[in-house]
Parts: sequence; structure tokens; C-alpha cells
Amino acid sequence: MQSNPDARVDNADAESNLTSVEVSLIDDWQNFRDDDVMQQQSDIQAVESEKIPFVGDKEPLSSLADEYKTGSPILLEKIKILNEQYAAIRRTRGDGNCFFRSFMFAYLEHIMESQDKAEADRIKANVEQCRLTLQKLGYTEFTFEDFFALFLEQLDDVIQGSDASISHDELVQRSRDQSVSDYVVMFFRFVTSSEVQKRSDFFEPFIQGLTSASVQQFCKTAVEPMGEESDHVHITALSDALGVPIRVVYLDRSSCDNGSVSVNHHDFAPAGNDQPSAQNGSLEAISPFITLLYRPGHYDILYSK
Amino acid sequence: MAEERYNRKNPAVKRILQEVKEMQSNPSDDFMSLPLEENIFEWQFAIRGPADSEFEGGIYHGRIQLPSEYPFKPPSFMLLTPNGRFETQTKICLSISNHHPEHWQPSWSVRTALVALIAFMPTSPNGALGSLDYTKDERRVLAIKSREAAPKFGSTERQRLIDEIHEYMLSKAPPVPQVSTSQSPEDQAAKSEDEVQENAVNTVAEETQEELPEGPAPAEDSITEEVQPREVPPPAVTSVQLQQTHPAPSATLQQTSPVVPRQADDRLFTWAAVGLTIAIVFLLLKKFMKANGHSAFFMDES
Repeated sequence: MQSNPDARVDNADAESNLTSVEVSLIDDWQNFRDDDVMQQQSDIQAVESEKIPFVGDKEPLSSLADEYKTGSPILLEKIKILNEQYAAIRRTRGDGNCFFRSFMFAYLEHIMESQDKAEADRIKANVEQCRLTLQKLGYTEFTFEDFFALFLEQLDDVIQGSDASISHDELVQRSRDQSVSDYVVMFFRFVTSSEVQKRSDFFEPFIQGLTSASVQQFCKTAVEPMGEESDHVHITALSDALGVPIRVVYLDRSSCDNGSVSVNHHDFAPAGNDQPSAQNGSLEAISPFITLLYRPGHYDILYSK
Repeated sequence: MAEERYNRKNPAVKRILQEVKEMQSNPSDDFMSLPLEENIFEWQFAIRGPADSEFEGGIYHGRIQLPSEYPFKPPSFMLLTPNGRFETQTKICLSISNHHPEHWQPSWSVRTALVALIAFMPTSPNGALGSLDYTKDERRVLAIKSREAAPKFGSTERQRLIDEIHEYMLSKAPPVPQVSTSQSPEDQAAKSEDEVQENAVNTVAEETQEELPEGPAPAEDSITEEVQPREVPPPAVTSVQLQQTHPAPSATLQQTSPVVPRQADDRLFTWAAVGLTIAIVFLLLKKFMKANGHSAFFMDES
């Protein structure tokens, strides 16, 4: 799905940073141990992460165009096309959790704005299914119950009319508060992991296309640990588990052979819980209320006009 | 325990209190772990040396520090009892510990980590950081010594907890095995989930079983020990991680001697069985021949 070999968004900035790393450090490889590598890596992450909150402010799409002013003309062309359909973007931190974090905010914001109690009840039923699946898989209850509780609490709080109800500002604040935001991200990771393991026969070939790991290993190394990036397996599993369609719009440097440029998107339409997932491509019937902008390696939230 | 002193709203505290409760309601004979009363992010633990290893009978104490971001960040482990496998007062380098935060996952717990630590005792350290490669005899001596007294460490409150844990472990521990040649490194991959029996020296190695981790069996497939040769290595290998599956006993020098008698035993049994089979076939054949009047073929005088 995400195989766009030439689809690298301009990395010029990152590369110029790399060259400025002290040369003396590199000469000293023999004394450079794993610990040091990890220390350096986490230092880089810490610096990077402070540049942008977990969930940013809503920005007009023009801010996206500004980013690529001197970049690829294909990207600029595509942003122009995006402009016709989408009004705004909300960036998320590129810490490996951006898909889950984007989903979290987009979903809760949707419930808050639509006040769709039926949808909230529907998703709660699915969440209970995931809880049962995890129990059946042998997970110790206390290792996941806090994450479940925290998500359900957020879900209740965005529905207005109770003492605990929160404002939109409060939702943004909570999404930036690590003790809420990371817990909800982790909740989605558990949900994703439970779905992948529950339907391991379905997911196995996809996982083998990504790594040589078994389904269980994949969940242990690529789904459950925080900061592990999401791929189409994660998105499919989360969308199926919760029954929430997700549209992913691709912004990359791919173009058609004849030089014409169009923006591709893929709709993840949840498969029914009891039937084998046969979904693929864009179905006319569903209209996802969550739209994410994918640039290779990163997800942000898109807002329709 | 000290619940009223902590903000139960703090998710880390909430989780840790859950784990304490779980630890107390499902006690194990193989390990014991409790937080200090003054600080639930600081735990003391003791593990029992795994059966059928040179650590059998040993009681190894250590401390655990839980980070404020627990369970997102891993706990760190440090042993206090000299054991010949891990350095004392040094953070242990397992993927479950904070040397490898990228491998840790929130669905693990202190219990998972302790079970993994026990499983790692008899494995070959392969030069992992903070590891020791003492001989089996040296380790046995330390195992026996470890029972005599709990280590002295930290405040009086901590010491009281260490002593309490030591008493508990002693009450559950099997006696120290006599030095016996029949011990062999068990193929632990095949062990079942049963609790260890209160067994004395167990010469039939297969019968001894050890508790396996509960939950999504994480110890087996994903907990690893970092291997880092301390001699200046070629740069390419520095980040190599050995996926240590369950203790596949590598034939290091000190391990060969206990292995040999076991193999000899096996061979003896095989030959005995072959011998018996030949004898039975011979007797049957003899009887058959006799019945058919060909007995002279076998017994000249009759």
C-alpha cells in the first residue's frame, strides 16, 4: 500500500543536521556502546518532540503549502488539489504514535461535535469485545484495564450534559497531557493488538509482507510498545476492531506516467466483526468522518471543507 | 499498604498498587516482591535459584526501581546477593529492564520481569553487560551462602522488608542440593506451568518443573539479554542482540561435566533395551525351533 519508492518528502533539513554531528564522536566508534547510541537517540527524540505538542493547533492548509515552498512541484500541485476538498490540518508529534494520536483526537473531537450518543454506545460495545479478547488471549487484567478506563472516561466526558463534560479547549489540553494522551494511545495499541491476534489468519500474510515475525511477535514488537510506527496492518485492525472507517490521504511525490497529478486516498472500511474482512479500496457506501493526511512516515489530521 | 499517602489518580501509582495487590493475592514460591512502605516506586525482591541449575536452593535478593512513567517505561533491576551470574549493585541488562526501554511493553509487569529474571539465571551470559560467568562450583557455593543471611542494604525500613522477604523465601525454599553429579542443565523450553514442588535433591531431572510466566507468555519470545563483548569488538557487531530462547545450554567448559553423565545414562539405557530385545527374540526363536524339532540347531546335547 505505502510502496512509493520515490515518495520521500524532502529530507534536506534532516540531512543537513546529520552532517553537523561532531566528527570527533564518529571517530570514537570503538568506545561507542549501545547505551551511548540509545542515549543519543533518546536525546534527539527529546529535542524533536519539544518542537511540536502531541496534538497541535488547527492550521489552515496554506501552512502545509508554506512548508514545501521550495520543495517538489508535484507536492505543491497536490496540496493545491487538497485545498479544494480540505480546509485545515492539525499536526501531531512525530514520535511514532502519530497515527494513534491523530485517531484519538479526531475521533473524540467528532463525538464532541456530533454529540452522537449512538456512536459512543456502539464503540463502547466494541471496546468491551476487545476487553474479552485480551482476557481470552491471556493478558493479565491489571496490565490493560487502566488504559481502557481512561479512554472510556474521555468518551463520556466529550458527551455534553454531565458534570464531567469538557470543553473543546479541555479536550485539546488533555490530548497534550502525557498522562491522558499516552494512556489513550496505549489503549488503541491494545485494541489493535487484540484484533490482530484474534484474526491472526487474516493478518498473517500482511504481517509477513512487512517482517518475518510471527503474528504474536509482531504484536509484541510493533504494536504494543509505545513509539512503534503504524502501518496498514495497524490501521486496518484498529478500524475493524472499533468499527470506525478511516480515510487516509496520501501526500507524496508519486505521479502518473503521463505527468498528471492526483491525490490518492484509501478508505479503511471496517469489516463486520463476525465476517471475514473482505474490505478493500474505496467503498461508496461509507463516508469516513476521520481523515488523516499521510506523508511518508507521518500522520496528521485533515479537516474537510 | 500506603494507599492513602499516594494520589490514586496518578495512573502510575494506581497501576503499581494494582500490582502490589496482585502480588499479594497470588504469591509464588519462586519469588517475592514488595514495595517499600515509604515509596512504592522502590521495591525489594527475592528470587529463588531455578531448579536443576547451580543456583538451586539459592535466595537472591535485589531491588527494583519503577520510573514515574511506569508502565510506559520499564523498571530497573539490581541484584544485591552475590550470585555469580549478575553483578551486584549494577543494573541488569535484560530487554525487560531499563537498559532496553524500546523493548518494554506496558502489558508486562514486575511479576513478568521476575519470572524472566529467574529464567535468565542459568543462561550463558555471552558477555552481556553486568553479567558474570563464574564456574558452576563457585555459583553453588554462593547459592548455599545466599541462604545464610539476607544482604544488608539501605534504611532500617528497607532492611526489615529484606529480612521479611528472606524469611518467606526460606520457608518456601527446598533444601540446598548436595553436590550431585546427576544434575544437568534442564531443557527448560519443555517445562510446564506447574509450580515447583517442595522437592529435595531431584535426581530425575525431568520431574522438576518451574513456574512459567502468566499472561501473554512474554518471557519466552521477546525478553532478551543484550550481548556486548567487552573486548574491543569490530563496530559491526556492537548492536547485535542475541535472541536467547530458553536456556539452550551451550557447551561451555564448566557445563560439560554435568552433561556427560546424563548422556552416559541415556546410552546405557539404550543398550540395555537393545540387549533385552535381542534376548527375547533369541528365546522366542529358540522356543519356536524347539517346537518344530530343530532344537539341535541350538542345543547340541539335546
